[in-house]
Amino acid sequence: MTKAVRRFLPIVVIAAAIFFPFMAGPYPLAVAQSVLISMALAVSWDMLLRSGQISFGIAGFFGIGAYGAALSTLKLSVSPIVSILFAGACAALVAFVLGFVILRLRKVYFAITTLALAEIFQVIIHNWGDFTGGPEGIVLPSLIFKGDSRSLYWLALASVLLACAFSAVFQRSRLRFALTAVRNNEVSARSSGIAIFSYLMIAFVTTSFLQGIVGGIHVQIYGYASPDSVFDANYTLLPLAMALLGGTYSTPGPVLGAILLGVASEYLKLKIPYGHLVVYGIIIVLVILLLPEGLYGQYCKRVKASAKEGAGPKAAGTEAAHA
Amino acid sequence: MPDLQTFGLTKRFGGLLAVNNVSFSLDRGEILGVIGPNGAGKTTFINLVSGVYAPSSGRIRFKGRDITNLAAHKRARAGIARTFQIIHPLENLNVAENVMLGFLFTRRSSLKEARKSAEALCGSLGLSGLDRDVSEITMLETKKLEIAHALANDPTVLFLDEVMAGLNVDETTDVVRLVRNVAREKNIGVGVVEHVMSVIRDLTHRVIVLEAGEIIAAGPYEEVAKNPRVIAAYLGGAG
Repeated sequence: MTKAVRRFLPIVVIAAAIFFPFMAGPYPLAVAQSVLISMALAVSWDMLLRSGQISFGIAGFFGIGAYGAALSTLKLSVSPIVSILFAGACAALVAFVLGFVILRLRKVYFAITTLALAEIFQVIIHNWGDFTGGPEGIVLPSLIFKGDSRSLYWLALASVLLACAFSAVFQRSRLRFALTAVRNNEVSARSSGIAIFSYLMIAFVTTSFLQGIVGGIHVQIYGYASPDSVFDANYTLLPLAMALLGGTYSTPGPVLGAILLGVASEYLKLKIPYGHLVVYGIIIVLVILLLPEGLYGQYCKRVKASAKEGAGPKAAGTEAAHA
Repeated sequence: MPDLQTFGLTKRFGGLLAVNNVSFSLDRGEILGVIGPNGAGKTTFINLVSGVYAPSSGRIRFKGRDITNLAAHKRARAGIARTFQIIHPLENLNVAENVMLGFLFTRRSSLKEARKSAEALCGSLGLSGLDRDVSEITMLETKKLEIAHALANDPTVLFLDEVMAGLNVDETTDVVRLVRNVAREKNIGVGVVEHVMSVIRDLTHRVIVLEAGEIIAAGPYEEVAKNPRVIAAYLGGAG
């Protein structure tokens, strides 16, 4: 791919995504909307992964965002857009406070703790009684944009664009250097003057903020939040699998993975109800075994190798890897 | 006053005294050899000074300030740099980007400035092909990258932990010359941990010898090499 293609491809993809509702019927639109929600989560999850920290707590912050938006709409009567921002702020605040404790953990200890936290959030919401609506959850009195399906789709798309914008900033700033260094070797990172905790905190709060926003958008789109629905483990597993399939440590990777796995899982859901979970479990296992860098990672590797062989511009591969 | 001083620096790992009561100093422009048999505590000593470990007791002073409890990344910013015995250039960053780290985080340069500075630094060390992956570079280039990675911090003192290991004779000569020039031109103090005695002989102004965590001899190489305790430490025997 030439440089021009690489520059314009994102614009073409975004334009296609924006015009999609004019071409698609209600069913594809509904599928696309749910894929976009998972896609935004996948991109946000990858941003923290770049520091080497694997979070299993996506559903937790997604759920906090969902309840933040639902409760602020219901109790404070704020406008839907404000409630979505409030959702992000809630998740970011919780992440910031918890970060002081859990960002001292590493690897599997961090992963398990985030998983446990998501469970704890769910239990708290479940048992808060009247305030959170308990196990029955909350139904919003009206839908955002009066439930217009195109507008709802664009709202979901906005969450993806927001996540991608943050991700691009991460990749083009000193954050990429800090997070990559921390992921590789913390002792070496410190010897270069990197304040590890600060950068982990920035990444953790940012990803949690995004996951909260996505949760808020989810609630505004579907008009309903219950502990079982918004803290569902699927909101952790599906985005994670999407990012792994598409390729980690990049923005295009999780986006690509979300499209492929999202469409595939929807198709399989129709063909073999419930069996689709088994199939995408198998996909994840195969990807981890055969393509540890994911599809986009594999593509970048190819580009690099061919640039070297063909004596082409050497920067091509590295540039693609930083997208 | 010397730039870097330690007073009775001690590190215990459970029952093991890895570094025992080490007092030393290192000044700008000086090249100090740190030698001793395997397990003598050389790397642990560097880890104490660079802040990887907190000492069990003793103090560290740097530029007139007590840094005993200063975090490792702040010591790097204050001007203490090091290389690692087990080299690990960072994957997913190319050669230039590895060197940019120090400029970005100890000197707070912008990405553009850091890239420029990294190119200049690599050029002065004879390191080229900066857009290559770190997996593609030779052993000699890896060593130069390690040195560049440390020098990017703009250090006052620099510790080289067995940076010559794995190099052939010609390459070693190359790196020795490079370290000597760097110490002189940038006027930094260099602590060299090394097993290759010819390197210590050619490069250093002064040597300290560690055995079982303690300094058993100090002075110019010629003097130390004749010291019976040092010979015994290396060759074994009653000492």
